[in-house]
Formats: sequence, structure tokens, C-alpha cells
Amino acid sequence: MARFCVALLAAVLLVGTTLAAPDTISPSVRVKQADRLVDLASQLVKINTQLVYENTGNEAVKYVLVALDENHRQTLSYINAILVEANKGGVKPLKVVETKVQGHEKSSNQLYRIELKTPLAAGRTVTVSLETVHAHFLEPFPREILQKEKQLVKYTGNNYVLSPYTVLKQKTTVNLSARNVESYSKLKPVTQTDSTLNYGPYENIPAFSYEPLLIHCENNTPFLTVRNLQRQIEVSHWGNIAIEEVVDLEHTGATLKGSFSRYEYQRESGSGLSSVKSFKTILPASATDAYYRDDIGNISTSNMRVMSDAVELNLRPRFPLFGGWRTHYVVGYNVPSYEYLYNSGDQYILKIRFIDHIFDDMVVDDAVTRIILPEGANNIQVKTPYPINRLSDSLHFTYLDTTGRPVVALHKTNLVEHHIQDLEISYNFPRLLMLQEPLLLIAALFLLFVLVIIYVRLDFTISKDEASENKLRIAGFVEKVLSHQLKRINAYDAYEDQLNKLKQIKDINSFNSALKSITNDLKNETQIIADHQVKLKADSPDVAEKVAELQKLDKSLKDVFTQQQTLYVEKLIPGKINRTAFVEVDGPLAKKKADIREKITAIVKNLQH
Amino acid sequence: MEIESMSRYISPVNPAVFPHLTIVLLGIGIFFTAWFFVYEVTSTKYTRDIWKELLVALVAAIFSGMGVLFLMLWVGIYV
Repeated sequence: MARFCVALLAAVLLVGTTLAAPDTISPSVRVKQADRLVDLASQLVKINTQLVYENTGNEAVKYVLVALDENHRQTLSYINAILVEANKGGVKPLKVVETKVQGHEKSSNQLYRIELKTPLAAGRTVTVSLETVHAHFLEPFPREILQKEKQLVKYTGNNYVLSPYTVLKQKTTVNLSARNVESYSKLKPVTQTDSTLNYGPYENIPAFSYEPLLIHCENNTPFLTVRNLQRQIEVSHWGNIAIEEVVDLEHTGATLKGSFSRYEYQRESGSGLSSVKSFKTILPASATDAYYRDDIGNISTSNMRVMSDAVELNLRPRFPLFGGWRTHYVVGYNVPSYEYLYNSGDQYILKIRFIDHIFDDMVVDDAVTRIILPEGANNIQVKTPYPINRLSDSLHFTYLDTTGRPVVALHKTNLVEHHIQDLEISYNFPRLLMLQEPLLLIAALFLLFVLVIIYVRLDFTISKDEASENKLRIAGFVEKVLSHQLKRINAYDAYEDQLNKLKQIKDINSFNSALKSITNDLKNETQIIADHQVKLKADSPDVAEKVAELQKLDKSLKDVFTQQQTLYVEKLIPGKINRTAFVEVDGPLAKKKADIREKITAIVKNLQH
Repeated sequence: MEIESMSRYISPVNPAVFPHLTIVLLGIGIFFTAWFFVYEVTSTKYTRDIWKELLVALVAAIFSGMGVLFLMLWVGIYV
């Protein structure tokens, strides 16, 4: 019941906020001063307006409104407002929301609400800096030019700062890319100095005033548009993040009229001014193994410069890009995972840019970023710095994958440099899953070996060759006998060592304990050889005879060892025998031993062949 | 979970040692693989020992498998 009440309360609150009275243009707010900077020096239109709002009423206001006319709204890529505090320094971003205002629902102007951090008290002022970036706003005029012609563009704006409030004082500065201006609106006072136009100051302009501002000027800066960007980020927990960008590039300036002359392009400096020969892509400082290629293969006309804070990639397409021309290429590189991946236990966060720099003042019409997480990652959540459309997750299969790697796909249109911001993708990944890949390889190789083991056991012979079969069987027995014989000889060597030790140190206890395992070994080996001898008798009596001889020799060898041991233990250690007598007995025993060993070696050699 | 409370992720094996690991592990792996195949072709059905074959195969598979993994990582196939 309590939970239901809470839910109900939450629902009421939610409805309450959405149904709150629409925003109104407060009559008590005025813009005391507006300074606008319109930057037309690149293919983008960047407008930076510094607005000083003043509250002349009695009540505090929580928000202020700004407006964009239809042209500006349709081309808007990025909008941001910051609070400017002259004495404190530093910038504070403010929340900007699209809104509808009572009495202006049908107007073509779009209003935005800037929510102030602290309400603007009566009689006080606040300075807000509004930044908007517009793509595809500058219109090439004429639309088609010859190779030798300059590119001219047209900007259509408003002479006044479009504001829902009365503007007491305002001025506008327009930055152009070149000194050459064909024509511009001359709403006095206006001055031109170099590549700058200064409009204003205008005083006491009422709200929503509009006076067309037309500027027709030269602009040969690269009008490059990324029509389609496919960015792929592949995360490996083995320490690497591989990034690949597939770029569809188009020159969206004035299209080329007539033919293209390579000769003139090379010879004359004024030819193809608006074309793009090369551009610079800036990669992260830790980027390595960069590649630049297209469908044909590597594009060799590129340079990479590693600097302290970035890697600069100077890319030159296979041909210069003129208006309307397109190219398609792939750029890829690796970055170490510790730069972008954070973890705490099995929980991971990947903090990486949604898009990265492609060229200065870039425009990206359509971008899809696919983030490939390691196989087995689950509970994936995405935190974006601005609204991004998340497409349905999919699976990606590559080396050593079984169930496939989860892929997060994100899509956004109309992006500019200001959108180069970090995404945060959090997921869970059990660390033990990293063992899956080596285990897969080990299992595959082991399977191969097992198949070999099975293959060598298969017998497809139709008729059995008894003679060679017999021979093989005997060879097998002989090999086993020989290996056991070798072990027996080794045991005798150990026996010998122990006897020598006993002779010198005279420690009977350690000798006895060592002897135990040696005699045990000898017994076992002798028994095994005897077993094989029995088996051999049926197949090859003569080999069996040799083995029997071996056994006989072994028995006598054992006897000699026993005699020697008795001599040591019963005579030498208690001191019942003097030195010369001992040598007289021990010498022949040693010689006998050597003789028998020689005979054994002879039989072993005989068996080997 | 906030990113501030997390630490930078360090991979279990430093990528700088991939070449060394590859050479050592793959070297041992190839040795055992060679031993395995030599044993397979020289032994007859009366002399071979299934446990020895399986043991050598397992050791060869473990070392070769790890060696191949680090070889892939070394050449840039980040699995």
C-alpha cells in the first residue's frame, strides 16, 4: 500500500511538472547589452552572443528565453549556454531546453529556455553567453563554379539579435574568411575593416525585431562534409581498444562546372582554390598502428606525426576533392585500454568519445558508433553527454568467439566538433571469462592430437601379414624387456653406490634403509622381465632363450652383490677382518661383477639388433 | 557505480611481454608437438602407451595453445 502511495505521488508530481503553465516572456526582463559575434570564416556558422539580462520587475525570474529564427533553427547543430561571472572566472554550463511560449506557438521562431542556476533577483543582472553552431547554412552562390573561379557564399541572417525581450543596446561583429566581400547589408552604422564587418550599436530594439542581413563573400575554406561515419570501437580485455572509422566524405561547396584540368591544377596557384588537397585528422596521443586505406588498399599519401599531446594524421585522398566530389576511406588505430577503461571488481566503465576529430570545423551528417564489448559482457548501460539514439544491440563474431560479442550501436545525425564528448558505457564482465579464449585453443589442439591418436590405431588392412605382425610383436616385447633391463641396471648402480658408501662411512642404518627400495626395484623389474619372457616363448623361442640367459646372468650378479654385502656387513663393519684379507676377498668379487655386467651388455646389444 | 570510485583497468598480461611469452610458450609447445608426432609414427601397436600419448598431447596442447594466443595478441588480433 505504501508503495502504491509513493507511486501515485510520483505520478502526480510528474504530471504536475509536465502540465505546469507554459513558459511566458516576462515583461520585466530586458536585455541590457547584447554582443554578437558571427563567425563565417569556415564552412560552419558559429554565433556567439553575450547577453546581459536585467530584471526590472519585483519578482525573481528562474529562467530567461532566447530565440532562433527558422533558418537558424533548421540548420542548428549545437546550442549551449554558459553563465559568465566576471569576478569569479570560470564557466558554468546552463541547461538549455527547447520550449513553447504562450502567444508564440504559431510563430516560426523557436524559443529556448535557459534555466538559471540561481534565480535572477529584482534589479539584478546576469550575463549569459549563448553559443550556436549551424551546419550547411552558408549557401554557395553561384552554385557552380569553374576550376579557376573562387568560391562565393551567401549568409542570410538577422541584423538584430533575435530576442524575446527588448534589447537596449546591441552590436554585431561578423568574421569572414577573406577580405573580398561582394555585397553586404548596410543597415547603418556599419563598417568594414579587413575581413571583419561591424554592425551597430543599435539601441532600443523591440522584441522579435527582424531585419534581413545578407552577406555575400568569398570563402575558400574546405567545405567538407562527412555524409556517413561508421565508427567501430572494439574493446579487448587483453589490453587494447581498436578503433576504426569508415568515412564517406563529400565536398559540399560550389560544384565544379566544366572539366577538371590536372595541368592547370598543378601549374597555377589560383586554380582550384576551393578544392581540398589534404586534411588533418587528430588522433589521441596514445594512438598506435594507424592505417589509412580504402577499397583498393593502402593510401600511401599520408603522414603521421606523433606529438606530445596528440597524433596528427595528414591525410591526402587519392584525388583532390572539388565541389560535389566524394571519397570513401577507412582510418584505424589502436589505443591501450588503460586510457579509457575503468574497473572495480567485475564492473567496468568504458569512457570514450562518441565521435572523434576528423578535420577542423567538420560536419558529420550521420554517425553510427558501434562499441564491441568482450564476449560475455552483460548488464550494459550507456550514459551519453547529449541525446543519442541507441539502436538495438547485436552480436559481432570474430576470432575465438562462440556466443558472439555484444555490440552497442549508437546513432546521431548532424554533428559538429562540439559533439566530441565522452560516452560512458558500463557493463559487467566476469574476469574468469578471459580464460575462455586460451582454453578454446588448448581444447582444439588437444582434439587434433586425440584424432591423431585414434588415426594411428585404425587398421584398414584387408589381409593380415602374420610374419611381419609377429615380428612387430616380438620387437615390442624386446623393447619392453630392454627398458626394464635398463632400469634394473640403474638399480644395480645405485646398489653399488650404497656399498661404496658403506665401505667408507660404515653407517649400517642408512645403508639398510636405502637398500630396501633398491631390492624392491630389482625384484619388480626381474618379475616383469620374467613375465615378458613367458609371453615371448610362444612367439619366438630363441629370443626367449636370450632373455632367459639374461635372467640367469642377473641372478648371478645379484648373488655377487649379496656376497659383497654380507662381507661388508658381517666382516668389515664389526672389524673381524684385516685389511689385506678383506682386499683378497673383495677384489675377486668386484672382478666377477664386472665380468657379468659385460656379458649382460653383450646380450642387450644382441637383443637391440 | 561512479567512474570516480573506479581504478584504471590494467590487463592481466602486460602487452610489452607478448613477444617473449609467444616465443617461449610456442617454443615449448612445438617441442612437445614434435615429440608427440615422432612418438606416434615410431611406435607400433605393441609398444605404444596411451597414457604417455595423452600426457604428451596435453602438455603440447597447453603450451601451443597459450603460445598461439599470445602470438595472436602480438600480431594485433586482440581476441
